[in-house]
Formats: sequence, C-alpha cells, structure tokens
Amino acid sequence: MRLPPVPGEWLDRSVDVSFSFEGKTYRGHAGDTISSALLAADAGILGRSFKYHRPRSVLSMANHDVNAVCQWGDRPNVRADVTRLQAGMDLAAVNTFGGLKSDKASVLGSLSRFLPVGFYYKSFHTKRLFPMWERLFRTLTGLGKVSFNTPHIRTAKRYGFCDVLVIGAGPSGLAAALAAAEQGAEVVVVDENARAGGSGGYVRGGFGPQAEQLADDPLTRVLAHPGVRLMTETYAAGYYADHWVALVGGDVLTKMRTKSVVVASGAYEQPAVFRNNDLPGIMLASAAQRLIYRYAVRPMQQAVVLTANQDGYRAALDLAAHGVEIVAVLDLRLSSTASEPELAVKARGIPVLPGHHIVEALPGANGKSVVGAIVAGRGKMRTLACDGILMSIGWAPAANLLYQAGTRMRYEQSLEQFVPDTLPPGVFACGRVNGVHTLSARRLDGQRAGSAAAAHAGFGDARVITVPAEMECPTHPWPIVAHPKGKNFVDFDEDLQLKDFENAVQEGFDNIELLKRFSTVGMGPSQGKHSNMNALRILARLTGREPQQVGTTTARPFFHPVPMSLLGGRGFSPERRTPLHARHEALGAQWMMASVWQRPEHYRLTDKDRQQCIREEAMAVRQNVGLIDVGTLGKLEVIGPQAAELLERVYISKYANLKVGMTRYAVMCDESGVVIDDGVVGRLAEDHFYFTTTTSGAATIYRELSRLNTMWRLDCGIVNHTGAFAAVNLAGPKSRALLSRLTSLDLSATAFPYLALREGVVAGIPARLMRVGFVGEWGYEIHVPANQGATLWDALMAAGKAFALRPFGVEAQRLLRLEKGHIIIGQDTDGLTNPFDVGLEWALKMDKPFFVGQRSLHVIGRQPRKQKLVGFVLDAQFNGSAPQECHLVIDCGEIAGRVTSIAWSPTLGCHIGLAFVRPELAETGTAIAIRLTDRSTVSATVARTPFYDPDNLKQKEPA
Amino acid sequence: MKFPSPLSPIHDALLTGAAVWNSADSLPPSVSQFDASDPQKAALLGVADHSHLPRAGVKGPGATGWLAELGLSLPSRSNSWLPFPDGGLIGRLGNTEYLIEGNAARVAQIMQTPRAPGVYPVLRQDAVFALCGSRVNELLLQTCNVDFRCLVADPTQLLLTSMAGVSVLVLVAGNKIHPVYRLWCDGTYGLYLWETLTGIAEELGGGGIGLDALP
Repeated sequence: MRLPPVPGEWLDRSVDVSFSFEGKTYRGHAGDTISSALLAADAGILGRSFKYHRPRSVLSMANHDVNAVCQWGDRPNVRADVTRLQAGMDLAAVNTFGGLKSDKASVLGSLSRFLPVGFYYKSFHTKRLFPMWERLFRTLTGLGKVSFNTPHIRTAKRYGFCDVLVIGAGPSGLAAALAAAEQGAEVVVVDENARAGGSGGYVRGGFGPQAEQLADDPLTRVLAHPGVRLMTETYAAGYYADHWVALVGGDVLTKMRTKSVVVASGAYEQPAVFRNNDLPGIMLASAAQRLIYRYAVRPMQQAVVLTANQDGYRAALDLAAHGVEIVAVLDLRLSSTASEPELAVKARGIPVLPGHHIVEALPGANGKSVVGAIVAGRGKMRTLACDGILMSIGWAPAANLLYQAGTRMRYEQSLEQFVPDTLPPGVFACGRVNGVHTLSARRLDGQRAGSAAAAHAGFGDARVITVPAEMECPTHPWPIVAHPKGKNFVDFDEDLQLKDFENAVQEGFDNIELLKRFSTVGMGPSQGKHSNMNALRILARLTGREPQQVGTTTARPFFHPVPMSLLGGRGFSPERRTPLHARHEALGAQWMMASVWQRPEHYRLTDKDRQQCIREEAMAVRQNVGLIDVGTLGKLEVIGPQAAELLERVYISKYANLKVGMTRYAVMCDESGVVIDDGVVGRLAEDHFYFTTTTSGAATIYRELSRLNTMWRLDCGIVNHTGAFAAVNLAGPKSRALLSRLTSLDLSATAFPYLALREGVVAGIPARLMRVGFVGEWGYEIHVPANQGATLWDALMAAGKAFALRPFGVEAQRLLRLEKGHIIIGQDTDGLTNPFDVGLEWALKMDKPFFVGQRSLHVIGRQPRKQKLVGFVLDAQFNGSAPQECHLVIDCGEIAGRVTSIAWSPTLGCHIGLAFVRPELAETGTAIAIRLTDRSTVSATVARTPFYDPDNLKQKEPA
Repeated sequence: MKFPSPLSPIHDALLTGAAVWNSADSLPPSVSQFDASDPQKAALLGVADHSHLPRAGVKGPGATGWLAELGLSLPSRSNSWLPFPDGGLIGRLGNTEYLIEGNAARVAQIMQTPRAPGVYPVLRQDAVFALCGSRVNELLLQTCNVDFRCLVADPTQLLLTSMAGVSVLVLVAGNKIHPVYRLWCDGTYGLYLWETLTGIAEELGGGGIGLDALP
C-alpha cells in the first residue's frame, strides 16, 4: 500500500500515470517503477518463476532477479523493478500459460521430482526422443516473446570521454567523484538508478538526521561541481581493454573512454536459503527499504526480519518507522557486538532472537502469499505469523566489471566476501565492492580511490587516507537451511534448489564452471547476482574446500542484459560509389556489392527478365559497342628511378623492358606462391607507371606495396589514385568509331595498337586510355579525373546513340570474359591457387633475380600438379538444370574438382565454364561428370580456351 | 539546370528543388543555400558540401623542398596546417605529404610545375564537408572515437582518423565557441558519408545546409 509522502521519495504525486497489467487498469505516480506501482496498488503477484511457474513478487527491487519481468507490446523482458512507469503501458507477465493468476504451467511444480537437475541434458541423450523434447522445451521455456515484425530501431551509439569514470553513485562513488574533481579531473559518474545516492538514500535506520545528512550532502556537492557530470539511469554494461566502458542509458549506448576507472558498484544483497523462500512477501531487506524511501510503498504489515548484520536491524527500524509491525528479528549469529541499530531495535521493544533461523515459510492460498514462518533456534521451533519476511544475511560484491578488467580477487575470511587483491593499472575500487561496509568508512574509501584515480589520470597526487577496518562481519558464511521437502531456492531465475546442487556434485560436476553449466546456476538473466555466492558456498561445503579454492565463474560482458535494439542499433557500413552512380541509377541499374563498392549487376529493362537483360548486354558488346563502369578497379601509380624495379619485385612478369606507352598483364603472388591479385601495368614514362588492381584488392595491395617499398628503400613512391580517377571500358567492334568522334587521338591499329597506353583528351577531358581486351573485343579503358567522370559518361552515351551503344553490368562482363577464357582472381582462384594451376605459366618469369613468391614457385614447379583449371562445355542440346559455381566434379565416386565459373553463352549457343580438375582429367575432349545439389550428375566435356576468338583476331585490324 | 564539368563527388545528393547554386569557371558548382531553413539548421547542426574548392596534393621525399622552392610557407610539423595569407590552406599530412586547397593560383602553380626528383603529384578528388552548430560535438561523438576537443584546444592540428568507418582528415576553423569542422574523405566515400552525417544531423535537429549559412 502507498504510504503518506516520505521525505526524499522519488515520486511526483501531482502526476498520475495510468497503465494496465494483465488486463487490469492501475494508477501509479510519475517516478514509480512498474513494480512499485503494482505493489502500491496491492496487485499481489508480479510474475511466475521460470521452471515451476511458482507465483513470485519483489525479491530485490533492483532487478537482481527476474521475478518481475514484463512483456510490453513487442518489447520483451521489460525489467519491472527498474523500468519507469509510463502512461498507457499495456503490460503482461512473461512466461505464463493462461495468465499470471491462473498459470496452467504451475502444475510443473508438483512434478518437480521428475525434473531433476540436468534433466535437459539427460532428455536429449535419446536421439529418437530428441525432436519431442526439443518441441516441448521450446514451448515451455523462454521469457518474453520476440516479435519478428519489430522495426529496426536505429538507436544511437556514441563515444564519450572523461578523465575519471566513477561507476556507482552511492556514498563511496559520490565521495570518489568529488575527490577526483577537486584534484582537477573531469569526472563522469554513472548510476543505474533514476537518482543518485545509492543506499545512502534508503538505508536509514529510521529517520535519523545524521543519516539524512550523510545521504544528501555529497550528492548536493557533486551536482554543484562543474567538473562532475552525472549520468543516471545508465549502467556500465561491460569493461574492455584500455579503459573502454560500455554505458547503457535510455536509447543510447555510450562507449566511454576514460583515463582511470573507479568501481563503486556496491554489493548485491543475498537471499537466505530456506523452504519456500520465494513466496510473494519474502524479500531482501534492501528491497523493502527501496520500496519505502524511493516509492513510498509499505511492503507488508507484519514482518519477520532474518538477519546476520547491522543492516538487518536498520531495516527493521526503517519498517517500524513506517508502520510495519516487526514480529521478531531473527539473528543467525549466536552473539554479536551490540551495535547502535541493534540497541535501537531492542529499545523499541522488538523481540530479537539470536541464534535463530527460518526453517520454512508458510504459504497462503495457492502459494501466492506468505502467512507465517517456522523458525528454530536454541533447540526450539516455533511458528510466527507474518505477511512478510525480510532477508538481510549478507552481501556479494558487484565485482563483474572488476573481473572483466582483470582484477585478481581474494576471499577475505573476516568479511566472508571476495575483495580486490590486485587491481590493474588505472582501475580502482571503493565501498562495499572493496569490502568496506560502514557508511563513514565507505565515504573515506571513496575519497581515497577518487584521489588515486585522479592522480593516475595526471591530476594531483594521491592522498593518503586511512580507511578503518570493519568491526563486524557483514555476511553470514552459511545462510542456508536444508529441508527434506526442498523448495529452498538458491537461484530464483532458474528455480534451482539446494538439492539440485547436491545432486550435481554427486554426479561429478564438482568444479564451479562445470556446476554452472550442468545446473544452469547463474545462467539466467540476472547472471548470478543473487545466486552465485550461495552456490559457491554450497559447492565449497559439499567438496570440503574453502570459497577461495572453489573460485568464481568467469564474468563476461554484459553485466546486465542489454536491449537488442542497442546492440543492433545504428551501425556503419561504409560503401563506395563511383562518380557514375547516379547515371547507373537513372538507367535502371540493379545493384550488387563488389567488395565495398556498389556496382551495376545489370540494367533492368521493362518486360525483360534478368537473364535476358544480361545476355542482351553481352550481345551488344559482341555486335556493336558496350560501356561499363570500371572505376572500382584499384588505380595506383609508382614514380621514381626505381619504379620498374619495384614492379619487377612484386609481379611475376617483367616490367623493366616494358616500353613507354605500352601495358602488360600483371599477376601478383604472395610469399607462398599463391595468386592474390591481377591487373594491368602501363608505362607512362621511364620512371612512371600507372597500374590497376582488382576491385577488392586495391586497398590491401596499396598497403602491401607501401610496406615492401619502405622495407626495400627503393627510390620511388606509390600513390593510390583509386578514388581519384573515374574509369570506363568502351568495348565492341564499333568502339573505335565511337571514340573517334570524341578525341583527336590517332586510333589506328598502328598508332594505338592492342595493349598500348596513351594520354590524350576525350570529350574535352584529359584522359588516359588503354587498349585492353578483357571482354574479348576491341576496346578502350578510359581513365579521367573523378570529378569529370559523369561528363565523360554523358558524352560517350550521347555519341554512342549512333552506334547502338549499350551500358553493360558486371554479369555481362563476367560472361564475356568467360567466353574469352579470362580468369577472375578470387572466383577462378582460391587461397591455394598458384600460377601453374590456372595456366599462367606464360606470365611467370622465373629467370628474374627476385619476385615475391619466386622461391615457393621454384619448389611448386618441381612438384606434380594436383589440379588444373580447364574450360568445359555442356552439350549444345542440354536443357536441364545447369551446374552452378562450386558444384563438384566427380570421378569414380571421388571428388575430382569443382566448377569455378559457368554461364550460358549466347554467342556460342551452349553452356561454357571453368573448373578445377585433377590433371589426368584436363585433356581437351575428356568427359567429366558434375554433381548438382540434388545429387544428379551432368556430363560435360573439357574444352580448349578461349572459347571465343581463340586466335585473338578481334584485336587486329581487319585485313 | 545544366552543369559544366567538373562536379562535386556528392553532386547528385545536392540536387534538391530548393537548392541555390553557385557556379564559377572551372570549379564544380556549389550550393550556397540548401533551403530556407539553412540558418536554423546551421545554428543547431549544419553539414555543408565544401568539395568545390580547387586542390592539389604532393608527396615524396622531395616534396618539402619542392614546395618551399615554389615559395610556399609550410607547416613545420606533421598533422598540422597553415592558412595562406591570400586565401586557402596547406596541410601537412605526414612527414612528406601535403594538401593544398582553396587558393586557385597556388593549386594551378603546383599542378603545372614539372615534378622534381622525389616529388610525386597526388590527384586530390576529395569530398569535403563543413560541420557547424551547437550540437556538432554530438554528431562527432556518434561517428568518431576521437575527442575533438583536442582540436579546439589546438586549432593548428590536422587530424587523420576514421569517421563512420571512413578515413578522414579533420581540422577545426571558426572559434572556440562556434567551431566549424572541415573534413576530407576519398570522393568515392562522399555520398555515403554525406548521407550518414546529414541523417544523424537531421535526427539532432539539423541537416544539410548551403555554404552561405556557415558561420
């Protein structure tokens, strides 16, 4: 129920917020979370457990459990404890069958003895039943429902920068932030809560003025300090190398880079383990305090408080101050140093029972509430009536980020807690996560860490501050009570009971990592925040070891579940577009990605399908003239007295003897003799070469050549002009006639022969022209400055109307070069292909003093060939399903090769292709069998290449 | 409108009905006004195309001496830039690489002077953008992992980094209160980067602007 206004509450009572949950309308206030509004409205249970579908309500009120998780429209797994209420929310509990109140799957609870630990794995042992179990588990398990129609939300990802990042805005974090800022550092403080202050705001032990002051004073100063930036409702989800911390807040993922980090993330309060410890009304003491002081919700009327430290007494005082009757405080310890809160509790007349524990909580109707507790101690057992139980038996450090940063932790016996032993440089810890629990000591510890962090970042000197040792152990070493009937839960996410651990260890899973995977402890959405420590204690006791010897499981990012909309938010996929992009678009280009480039695959024509368009484009090149954008090719220059020497060393052919004004095919190998790139090298001057690389190779080849040139210290320099030049290939029998209309260059075969390179002016634009024959026709590659590429294209298209010029795309080019038998690196080669395999021996000049890969090729050349790339044809009458690239060549039932290229040639009237085959199958005329995907085979015949114009007559002047 | 050559690498993205164009002989046409809301966008977050300026590049071990012989004052250290007294700038991209921009006479001089030993001319066909406005830092934070406050602190720096996955050169002009960031990228990445930057700018209340709106 809602309390009268509580000083410091987070509510704006002037704003009512209406929402629905499980079909019923509720009202809360601005500032409420979903859970607080529902508890204020006495909504009863908030969720069902994962496995047994037991009724659940608030446990931590901090989403350190998944008792309260909702579906909100197409948003699954909304964390009710910490998600702000919004007007119009239409919520439902996740993982129910027939609604929250009458979940039909709750029958599983009575079948629990048939569902022992590890039953998933055991079920799947039987192959025959695997499909049935899979279907069943898929139906029964899971949390929220994912909608596949959810639009892609392009949430922002941003970088952030600061000198000191403080994670956690509790008492120690705020003190650290102030200390660092006062030394001059730029500080960012992040906290997952809606407001800063941490436990300083809700662990009050009544209404003591000192507590108020302690809670508020540092926060006021932090907010006023110009050197501190506070980010609330933001959590540090993961720590990465070099102090990169992922911050998740709202719809933004921030990659924060900082010079030093202070982890003041506090500790998770831990549940006690006793029978029915999961009943609605049983919660952690800190959850009740959050409900009272943040949301003005009285969580119960009659409470039993189970404790083992001062915090439990403070919680009892907080509840009592707000009208809750404290039936008794049960202290697990036989004796304790009488602390101030304990004395105050006794002074209020609240019964305190030392050396007592809870044996069993008594459920109300249908297990949807608690009505009492059976307690035992000092040889007696009794029943206490209550409608709520608070658990305050200890803490586990929120050390996930410290682990991710590489911190070595040790188990501190006096605290019964893991604490940092060795912190990485630039990482600091303070407060509860550092084993400091007393409020005043936490502030001192924060000052120490903040000062040291600022000093590490280069601001001032680290102050020497002595932090007093804890006077009492804040955590009980064994808050666990066995019960023959079980239902004493250790992991509330996964419905794991004490006996599950006993059984797992009995089956041999006695290592913490194995135990985790077999039992699934800590594998739920809360990632062991409330369960790992108890699991570790149980394993330690069952195996007769100390907690330090058992160790912890590996903490990996993320610390909390991160919405997929953030992880899959805005991404950057750079793509390059040639200067002719808009021209292609206007012509109906169908785009394809070629490496990072957008290229026209073909140009769409109305009423014609893709194949028709591609074949028509190819035929236009064969019969008239075609124009293709080849601006994606790598375009490099090497200039200097030793330019030729560089090319001699990196390509397998010779270039020192290349005449000025001529080009030569160029193949590049790596050190192992594998073909990695090809292109054309042209000589512009004695000391100046212009050469192309493959589209995908440009950047890497430039990098590699630059590296080699630096290493070899040759007197030449390399310039990458890939993006600076637009380039087209004008090809076809009418290309020369067309080009002659736009240039004064002498295009005769004598003046401008095949493979020649010329510089001239085309359509008023300075250009470099190369006579190339990649597609098997008379043609010119024309390179112009990129900013004049569109003008060149327009001029060629305009002049080309008289010659039936047609633009052609990548697919038509692939077909045309296949007819000519030219290979494409990366398609007709792979990561093992050497020049011998693909018939490039003619380009290989082994008599050169040196080139990259030469030594390997000497060895390879002496070995027998394992494969050979050959041409093949299908019968002209063939009209079935044609093989595709990568289909296998089969010989005597064995794999004997694979198809690398295949297409139907409109020029030749049959299917042609290239395939790797074993050398004994490479003879022209050999019949080979190609197996299709449906395992049928197609017969083909090895054929000589080029398929088209084998004598290269197309590059010669007609007689 | 018929455009003479040459064209900006992002020319086609600027072809909106409301754009007001500026043409100068031998230079790509530029957009002086994108639309009527340019001043508002520029105040918040504006992205303008600055690619139209003449530019040239030169690299190689002889580049520094060669440029000095041409009478140019050179930045003394790598990754820094200097304005020319008569307009334009020269940036030193590395020990032996330079970018000259915005001064037609200087650019023509460099392009027309025969190269000397150890001097390698670089054809610069960059896409160049100017970013301004009160939310410009947010745009930079969403696209680049460099803290650009270092540039504002030392405006002579020329930064080579990656923005939205594309290699860029960045410098800051303007003043500390109203910085204007200029960035260069390979022209073939220009359309992608323009679309990315203006897309985010629009989410932040700004967008593409003409050159007249730049502070």
